[in-house]
Amino acid sequence: MAKTLVKTRSAGPKQQQKAAAVKGADKTLILIIISLVVFGLVMVFSASAPAASYYEDNAYHYVIRQGIFAVMGFVSMFVLSRFDYHNYGALALAILIGSFLLLFAVYIPGLGIESNGARRWIGYGVFSLQPSEVAKVGIIIYFSYSLSIIKDKVRFFWSGQFRYLVILGLFAIVLMAEPHFSGTVVICATAVIMLLIAGARIRDYALLALPMIPAAVFVIWKEPYRLERVTTFLNPFADPSDAGFQIVQSLYAIGSGGIFGLGLGLSRQKFLYIPEPQNDFIFSIICEELGLVGAIAVLALFAVLIWKGYRISQEAPDLFGSLLAAGITSLIAIQVIINIAVVTSSVPVTGMALPFFSYGGTSLFILLSCMGVLLNVSRQTIKRTGEVA
Amino acid sequence: MNAPNRKIKVRVLVFMLIFVGMIGALVVRTGWLQVVDGAYLKKAATQQQTRDKVINSKRGTIYDRNGKELAVSASVEMVTVAPNEIKESESAPLVAQKLADILSMSYDDVYKIVTKKSAYEIVKRKVEKEQTDQIRALKAAKETKKAFGGVSLEEDTKRYYPFGNFASHVIGFTGTDNQGLYGIEKAYDEDLRGTAGRVISAKNAIGVEMPYKYEKKYDSKDGLSVVLTIDETIQHFAEKHLEQAMAETNPAMGASVIVVSPKTGGILAMATKPDFDLNKPFEIIDTGMLAGIESLPAEQQKDARSQALTKLWRNKAVSDTYEPGSVFKILTAAMGLEEGVVKPTDNFVCTGAVKVGGETIHCWKTQGHGAETFKEGFKNSCNPVFMGVGERVGADRFIRYFKNFGLDAKTGFDIIGESQSVFHKPETFREVELATSSFGQSFNVTPLQMVAAISAVVNGGKLYKPHIVKELKDKDGNTVKTIEPTMVRQVISEQTSATMREFLEYVVTDGTGKNAYIKGFRVGGKTGTSEKQPRGNGKYIASFLGIAPADDPELLVLVAIDEPTGYLHQGSQIAAPVARNIIEDSLRYMGAEPQFSAEELATMQATVPEVRGLTVADAKNALTTAGFGIKVVGGGDTVVDQLPKPAASLSKKSNVIVYTEGAQETKVTVPNLVGMNMADVKNTLTSLGLNLEILGSVASDMKTAPAVRQDPAEGTQVLPATTVRVEFTYMDGD
Repeated sequence: MAKTLVKTRSAGPKQQQKAAAVKGADKTLILIIISLVVFGLVMVFSASAPAASYYEDNAYHYVIRQGIFAVMGFVSMFVLSRFDYHNYGALALAILIGSFLLLFAVYIPGLGIESNGARRWIGYGVFSLQPSEVAKVGIIIYFSYSLSIIKDKVRFFWSGQFRYLVILGLFAIVLMAEPHFSGTVVICATAVIMLLIAGARIRDYALLALPMIPAAVFVIWKEPYRLERVTTFLNPFADPSDAGFQIVQSLYAIGSGGIFGLGLGLSRQKFLYIPEPQNDFIFSIICEELGLVGAIAVLALFAVLIWKGYRISQEAPDLFGSLLAAGITSLIAIQVIINIAVVTSSVPVTGMALPFFSYGGTSLFILLSCMGVLLNVSRQTIKRTGEVA
Repeated sequence: MNAPNRKIKVRVLVFMLIFVGMIGALVVRTGWLQVVDGAYLKKAATQQQTRDKVINSKRGTIYDRNGKELAVSASVEMVTVAPNEIKESESAPLVAQKLADILSMSYDDVYKIVTKKSAYEIVKRKVEKEQTDQIRALKAAKETKKAFGGVSLEEDTKRYYPFGNFASHVIGFTGTDNQGLYGIEKAYDEDLRGTAGRVISAKNAIGVEMPYKYEKKYDSKDGLSVVLTIDETIQHFAEKHLEQAMAETNPAMGASVIVVSPKTGGILAMATKPDFDLNKPFEIIDTGMLAGIESLPAEQQKDARSQALTKLWRNKAVSDTYEPGSVFKILTAAMGLEEGVVKPTDNFVCTGAVKVGGETIHCWKTQGHGAETFKEGFKNSCNPVFMGVGERVGADRFIRYFKNFGLDAKTGFDIIGESQSVFHKPETFREVELATSSFGQSFNVTPLQMVAAISAVVNGGKLYKPHIVKELKDKDGNTVKTIEPTMVRQVISEQTSATMREFLEYVVTDGTGKNAYIKGFRVGGKTGTSEKQPRGNGKYIASFLGIAPADDPELLVLVAIDEPTGYLHQGSQIAAPVARNIIEDSLRYMGAEPQFSAEELATMQATVPEVRGLTVADAKNALTTAGFGIKVVGGGDTVVDQLPKPAASLSKKSNVIVYTEGAQETKVTVPNLVGMNMADVKNTLTSLGLNLEILGSVASDMKTAPAVRQDPAEGTQVLPATTVRVEFTYMDGD
């Protein structure tokens, strides 16, 4: 199947008729991605300008770097959208192992970067990367490919999904050692969603989840800062100058925006009140500057992106493509929801970037590359009668 | 075909719905925060994002009536910190160290301030530009910019008094917060102070201003300027002559003077001595006082110092009450004349004492004044005459006039600290009390009340409220409020007033007030000496009330010297000359033209003519024509030199010495003249070839008055025919 599709361009009349069913890349999705990236760049500039001029003496410091990666990301997206995703099948295991090994790179002296007691980054010079970002992609590609091969066997726990849970467990252990709680959550959630879509039984997860609850409580209890984040979440104003500082500042920003916001560029909270406003808390600045209108615009773009992503999953020509699209879409959806839940103080604080918006070049590059893969799947979708969605 | 099956599509759909649903929930959550919680969050955010700066208003200036600046505010700065913006571990030690060095404060004190749990603290006020510029440099320098973000400089003002110890008790001074503490500064504090403004500006998390036009400004309103009725020049005369009296009479309790315009009640000068420097109100500048304190044991010095300051700050003219003594006879006389119970020509006999209600009350002149008219009794300040007049007025009318003259209540003067007078209750005001009150004893009033009451006596009978502020002006010099003279009531008739003016002039020309006599000017006055309670301790208040010109007074001066410790203690002896000097200087400053009587003209100065080169006979003729005598030295016929030289001024009838060929000029030593009477002084000077100029009255009975001051001083080498100026004091009086 995969081979026939790759050969469509040089195929005969029969294949050409089939190729007619193959659409070009999803235009709406491209428009949404471009909108998100451009909007994101504008907001990175607005949010980072005060800190950039204060600490770096150059208001454009962050937006220039982000812009360079965005351009590179678009190039990658364009190339990958034309690179048949079926080619990843053969590489899936290698990508998985490679991304797993890369997680250990954070421990290499001179390469790994330690900050705030965690080793999540590797980098050299201006280039830096979170191996967990690569791990997410590795898991998605490997799971999609592998699950598309075992097909219905995923229903069986031991003979089916157990090995995936082992792989996931290994990743989780390494990530938690960094420690990188939010990264672990995103990878596990994405992987579990893929397993469920592929056919895993929910009952198994319910059984699995039971022992996870005391485990989660233990993990939170063990590290005082996590407990603090939990209690802070419950009442951020109890100590706004210390533990609750970030979240209180975020709420001040969101609340200041009202319905129409203070105007683009006119955030006050970005003036060193919100630490690194161009990062995890960029949504708060959007709310402050553009108000509820801006917030709805951002969330609507993501909603359309998610809708489109899952539609591509549904219309994918095969299970591999379907799971690839679902995995990528879920990854983005989970990050968006956690990030916005955090900045609106709906869940305890955890470090989570907002896709397309938060400053981070390599992350944006990987994200756009994923979009390229998604677009490639969309190019190969087939319309059939009896659509579910 | 390996396409996703229906089951998978359903599951994808489920997750799509879950995530889109969650996004919907987050929209609601965000909307809730922005709309429902928005107002609260925005307010809290604004609070942390803004800085509320107080802009001090500029304190108004205090001017004299002619626009001379007596108290001004100079712009300085105030150093403040926002401790919550200074990181305790990183920046606080650096900030504290630098500020302590620049502001000459202790490191510990500054550190305590910058680490307080607060959003705003004042480090130091009234800091000069020189220091604040150093702080400004630290705020700008890259290395210290961050640490000094929480340090601010705000406008502040510092009060400056150009004349130092000048009208100290009137002007007053301010405290550290520029609040008026004393004098006009306190009384008009609200007007002078203005309204402080505020600037609410945006700041970032480390206290640096945000680049937005996010600023609300409530302008400060500068204080109004106060224009006093005080005339700086007259005040200067008053202070100068009062200081001289201080030096000569060394009063234990100080001295005060008030100069008032009797037609309006506006104070032209008001001084108390010893005084203090307004720029350093907490320092004692009187050397005698200081020496006294420093001689005490160390542990008593602090108390003694604060007591001394309290005493120094007391505006005696307003806050002290005293027994006015004979000066009060002006009011008794005015009552009697107004009520028609006595006429100027009524005859009295003074035997030196009167029995009243079983008590014998003496006249100050114990041998008695003998037969005298009322007018003569007034110029003699005869107690029995006034006891008689008081009796004729009667207790009820006396009390009524006392009230009508405004002596029973505070005048409502601008400067606070006015004391309440003390008078007899009507039920205890019997014969003896009436008798003693008639000549100004047994009750207490303030000097200010006295000048107001006597102004009414001499200005045609109108009692004016004394006041010291003429108008209030805004910072652009526009008059905001004019304080018009307030007439309280008509107390006596114009006719009685005219008689009283005559009486007062008579005192100076012929009575106890001769020491206030000024050639060429019509001066009126009344002497007073009251022995302080308890009597018999030799403690007096010597006072003199003078008016000029006597026929239409523009000036009214009351001088009170409290417990003089010199040889002389009578008002006529020590207070009258002070009043005379103030009046003479003031009249000349005000441009009054002297008008001399024939007797005065006879002793006036004239210009010495040129007689050199003339024959002795011609020279004699020329000098005689000019009103001078001649004394020839040498045997020649031609005058080769003369003393004084041509064009010099010399009292008429003085001798000009002419030298003929070969004669020698020899210098003369000025002898001591103090204590001699006028005739002896004349003889002594004539024998030495020196000339005399008499200062003060030339009334006939001044012949027995002793000389009290001379110029040049004893022992000075002078040329022959030099004029020696001698002041005689009329000793007979109270």
